[in-house]
Amino acid sequence: MQAAHQIPNPGKFQVPSGLRNVFIGLLVAGLVAAGLAYAKDPARFWPALVHNHFYFLSLALGGLFFAAIQWVTGAMWSAPVRRLAESFTAFLPWLLVTFAILFFGLKDLYKWTNHDLVAGDIMLSGKQAYLNVPFFVVRNVLAILLWIAFAGKMIGNSIRQDETKDPAITGRNRVFGPIFLMVFAITFTLTAFDLLMSLDPYWFSTMFGVYCFAGLFYSTLALVAIVTVYLKRKGALDGIVNDNHLHDLGKFMFAFTVFWAYIGFSQFMLIWYANLPEETGYFLHRMTPAWKAVSAFLLFGKFFTVFVMLLPRGNKRDPRVLFGVGWFMLVAQWIDILWLIQPEFFTSPKFGWVEAGVLAAFAGAFGLAMFRFLGRHNIVAIGDPRLAESVLHHHQ
Amino acid sequence: MATGTLSASSEKPMAGVLGYFDDPTALVEATAKVREANYSSFDVFTPYPVHGLDAAQGLKRSPLPYVTFVAGATGFMLACILQGWTSVIDWPLNVGGKPFWSWPAFVPIMFELTVLLGGLATVGAMFVLNGLPNITKKAFDPSLTTNRFAILIEAPVQVASDEEEEEKPKSQNFKAFSEAEAADFLKKLGAKEVRTVYQEGWF
Repeated sequence: MQAAHQIPNPGKFQVPSGLRNVFIGLLVAGLVAAGLAYAKDPARFWPALVHNHFYFLSLALGGLFFAAIQWVTGAMWSAPVRRLAESFTAFLPWLLVTFAILFFGLKDLYKWTNHDLVAGDIMLSGKQAYLNVPFFVVRNVLAILLWIAFAGKMIGNSIRQDETKDPAITGRNRVFGPIFLMVFAITFTLTAFDLLMSLDPYWFSTMFGVYCFAGLFYSTLALVAIVTVYLKRKGALDGIVNDNHLHDLGKFMFAFTVFWAYIGFSQFMLIWYANLPEETGYFLHRMTPAWKAVSAFLLFGKFFTVFVMLLPRGNKRDPRVLFGVGWFMLVAQWIDILWLIQPEFFTSPKFGWVEAGVLAAFAGAFGLAMFRFLGRHNIVAIGDPRLAESVLHHHQ
Repeated sequence: MATGTLSASSEKPMAGVLGYFDDPTALVEATAKVREANYSSFDVFTPYPVHGLDAAQGLKRSPLPYVTFVAGATGFMLACILQGWTSVIDWPLNVGGKPFWSWPAFVPIMFELTVLLGGLATVGAMFVLNGLPNITKKAFDPSLTTNRFAILIEAPVQVASDEEEEEKPKSQNFKAFSEAEAADFLKKLGAKEVRTVYQEGWF
């Protein structure tokens, strides 16, 4: 325990060309497949697009949410890994592009865009003031622009602090933090309602927004853990991130696995108990023999497997376990979004070249954006006043 | 300050030699050295939890999490049996046309009993593992609960007592205890003040 300890600056991280080529390959192959899918199989293409748009939106926005709560709470433990979460926000501007593509699929995706159907349906015409194309586009684009603006301001502050080492910047982000969190709560809820819940315009659940938020943070934490372990293996975080930081991340992942299950079950149980026809149909679609396996996976895989894997202390401190469980959680969250979308279109789960292609395009773009960020900025918030304490405090 | 009350009891068995430290960093460093010296028994007193002290003392991890796990699992199974037996076997009731074994309705109770048994067992086991409540020992010095830190090198037990042996040093070849030697040793480690203390209880 030396009194004055200089934290080594690991600097920027240049992604190895092998991994970079993987992302480029995914992006190119994905774009080709997506283009083909758009031409040949639009019925499968549009659900896959909104699926991956929402999934990667959750990760990109989740990175900003993760960073914001660290500033709001004044967290010390997370200082060495916060910048990695900040790097996810590099994908936020691309959401404007993917939403622009999505715009052309609104007619294929959302029943409430059909004027004849809405005019003849008392339920849908009652919701027309909210569910109409212009308002839908305006509020979704506005939400994305707000996220980009907050990311630009807060992440920009954080990066500026690397140079100036000015502790006042942390205070400024502490002011932005709560404002962003309120904006986040409203905009993300509305985005979840719009993109996913209105796929079935008759169904409604006031818990749907928080359910999607639980999934957002579940997958964000998993990705933070994966990137941390990856960079640690590359030796980029030597002397900064140790087992105790991994342990904290593991506890966070565990907590939000339970949180997701709690929210998911609360939504399900109330609907199951009340048994109101307009609510119950949503779950009936998902309990057909073909969909039951996916529903069961969410309970036993997304929740129970992760719960058991992350329960022992040793597992949370083991980079290999955290890495593996992190990947499992990312896949589980992807399947969860699939489970929210596909039953509205298909009688059984679909995963073929269309879904794989669209996923590959998004994953490639996300990976490139994230590693471009890490290649241009320090991978550790080296000017953070809490960094030294975090590195030393956790050092036994 | 409080020496009068502490020393006047030479007929009471000696508890050991207490060395006071003013800051936690010095305390942790001294603790590690006391541990290396291999006395048969020592203890450390702090007014608040000090990071790294467990490692310096060589304390093993507590078995408490296992108690919590077993008790929680027991609570979960009890809830399954309780609700299954009452709702399906003993007194089946048709509620809203739902099956007798309507597990979604039982989940809140499963959760509650898991938490209840897990929580109560954890608190109970914590008391047992810490040897609490302890009515035979009094605090050596009230300042140890406000602003000072201390290491106690304990005298070997002379009278039969139900003292808890929390950690056992690796070898059995303990360093012989003598009041003067322990006091010297603590002073050398940087103790600001050294006292011999005697066992005092509430009863």
